[in-house]
Amino acid sequence: MRPSRAAYPIRWRVMDILEQVAGKLWPRSFSAGLPYLMLLPALLLVGVLVWGLVEIGDSSLRTLDTSTFLMSENYTLANYQRALSERFFTTVAGRSLMGSLIVTVVTLIFAFPYSYLMVRTQSSALRKFLLVALFLPFFIGQVVRAYGWLIILGNQGMVNEALGLVGVTPIRLLYNYPAVLFGLVQYMLPFAVLMLAPAMTAIPAELESAASSLGANWISSFRHIVLPLSKPGLVGAGLVVFTLSLTDFAIPAILGGGSQDFIANAIYDQFFRTSDQGMGATLSLLLVAVGSILVGLVFMVFGAGTLAMGGDRK
Amino acid sequence: MSAAPAGVPQQETAAAAAVSVKRVSKVFGDVHAVREASFDLPKGRFLTILGPSGSGKTTLLRMIAGFDAPTEGDIYIGGQPVKAVPPHKRAIGMVFQKLALFPHMTAAENVAFPLKMRRHDARTIPEKVERYLELVRLGGYGKRRIDELSGGQQQRVAIARALVFEPDLLLLDEPLAALDRKLREEMQLEFRRIQKELGVTTINVTHDQREALVVSDEIVVMDGGEIQQMAQPVHTYRTPANAFVANFIGVTNFLEGSVVETSNEAIALSVGGMRVKGVAGGTAKVPAQGELAAGALRAEQIRIAPTVQGFSGLANVVSGEVRDAIFEGERIVYEVVVPELGGAVLRVFDHDAESHQQFGPGDSVALGWNAKDMYIFKK
Ligand SMILES: Nc1ncnc2c1ncn2[C@@H]1O[C@H](COP(=O)(O)OP(=O)(O)OP(=O)(O)O)[C@@H](O)[C@H]1O
Ligand SMILES: [Mg+2]
Repeated sequence: MRPSRAAYPIRWRVMDILEQVAGKLWPRSFSAGLPYLMLLPALLLVGVLVWGLVEIGDSSLRTLDTSTFLMSENYTLANYQRALSERFFTTVAGRSLMGSLIVTVVTLIFAFPYSYLMVRTQSSALRKFLLVALFLPFFIGQVVRAYGWLIILGNQGMVNEALGLVGVTPIRLLYNYPAVLFGLVQYMLPFAVLMLAPAMTAIPAELESAASSLGANWISSFRHIVLPLSKPGLVGAGLVVFTLSLTDFAIPAILGGGSQDFIANAIYDQFFRTSDQGMGATLSLLLVAVGSILVGLVFMVFGAGTLAMGGDRK
Repeated sequence: MSAAPAGVPQQETAAAAAVSVKRVSKVFGDVHAVREASFDLPKGRFLTILGPSGSGKTTLLRMIAGFDAPTEGDIYIGGQPVKAVPPHKRAIGMVFQKLALFPHMTAAENVAFPLKMRRHDARTIPEKVERYLELVRLGGYGKRRIDELSGGQQQRVAIARALVFEPDLLLLDEPLAALDRKLREEMQLEFRRIQKELGVTTINVTHDQREALVVSDEIVVMDGGEIQQMAQPVHTYRTPANAFVANFIGVTNFLEGSVVETSNEAIALSVGGMRVKGVAGGTAKVPAQGELAAGALRAEQIRIAPTVQGFSGLANVVSGEVRDAIFEGERIVYEVVVPELGGAVLRVFDHDAESHQQFGPGDSVALGWNAKDMYIFKK
């Protein structure tokens, strides 16, 4: 309508002004330093984390004096000894590790066909449906979801009521190990699918056509082509699911009802119930150590490139 | 099973052919990708399906391979209907446009794959793999990973993989399209050598007319999902069935006008008021007097000279003015404006530029051609 202004839109003018200001604040001669400047926020964040870890390390070396409820002045390894020897802690650790392993395997088994279908389907309606179904749970927090399971699986819950209609006495579906694992699998599925889908998109459908023209039925083509080529996605998804499960708090707390504690629940108890900061810090550090060793091992076995979603492939 | 009484003799002819496509159509939604395509290919022959982009070449090939089912019609391989046979049970080797080599395997493992899948004796596999790698001149390259091979070498691994299990039929879906011209021409000859050596029936898809002419025993020209012509390369080039084929293969001038005279094969057109003589082209009906028609004339059939002297034997002689002269290495292409033909622009090849005079833009020239070199198609 007003051609003179359209020729030099207001947005351009604003950008010009910003550019001038930027030029004053950060002269061109500094430009070599720009990438480092951009690293700064990340470095700050990591710095804070490291500082926190050092603090936790410090507390982990002090024991709680039960008479005064103060931390000891001198350093000792007593907390680590307790953590590695006391029955309660080893049980919790075993339960968490075993549980995370089972959850990882089961989640990957469920996530694999789901992502395969999502990537390969011809019907865009089905693809959209699968995507929405995947993202919907993200809008509902973990705690809310766990409470949802209470409503469905509780003694007066929907499942038991339905069973009651056919004359089955209520079954205890909650507050046991399977309930926690079930809740975790349901929670982890979207993460696994989201990590697997890009890896599968990177496998050209033509490879499967080629395999079939070369004489492979779908089972062989799956075993020899799809599965090996999805390895990066499977490793990445497995790692994420395993570490998220190992450190999960809400689902063991709510669906386990206090009887199925994972490591995070034990840490919480140490900090906020018994107020034994030293023990809580020790358990936290051990958890970080287990997680790091695991990631390190996976990198060593599969190569650090695996998590880059097939970046080393053409 | 579905053979109706009328289908019985058809099946007998199918038995003689390695591949027989009978009135096959494929419809995607509202796109008619292939319409009533039919052809028979005898055993051991090299057929090329040639056509512009989107003409249905890949679709036809995929139906033969078994990846897609025809909407209508039947395909016979070795005389047997293959409607109910899934791809992995058809003995077809296929080389894909993007090769589809398995990136997590070595060259040898790729070639061994079909043998393993088809449960060949494990002891014979390494020897066979090596033999086929040698056939494609890659002996000793077996241990290389796919991404450690050049484009042309990958191409040859794909060919070895498609051939190693001795399929009845080899399908090639534009596997050379991505290569540079020199390598492509080398590989074309390589294809022909291997195909002759093994005698495997082959269907090749391309939109490169040169490749089609060089490698094939037979060419099927497709357009808009329909087969326009199936013939040997020489015939496809020299006696195109219709205006589309004439235009698609080679560099062809079209002169449009109304028919002023027909007698047997000879036809005369009036183009921009001038009488131009040609012969009826293709198999379609000869255009009648007064109808609109187009004369197709190859650029290399036109002779070019400074004056009409020496053109006395030619049925058609015109004069014009050079508009552009393009040097293409082995030949010069002239674009000549001919006022006598209503200002038509004719492209003329001069392959022998050294020995006689060269022309530049603005020069007056004489053009001449034989009546038998101009095919007249009904519009
Ligand atoms: N899966 C499909 N769904 C819908 N339409 C399709 C499908 N495959 C092919 N077509 C259509 O069918 C027609 C023929 O496609 P086809 O791939 O056979 O062409 P082509 O001759 O191989 O072309 P090119 O030389 O570009 O490879 C095109 O119009 C294409 O858009
Ligand atoms: Mg194609």
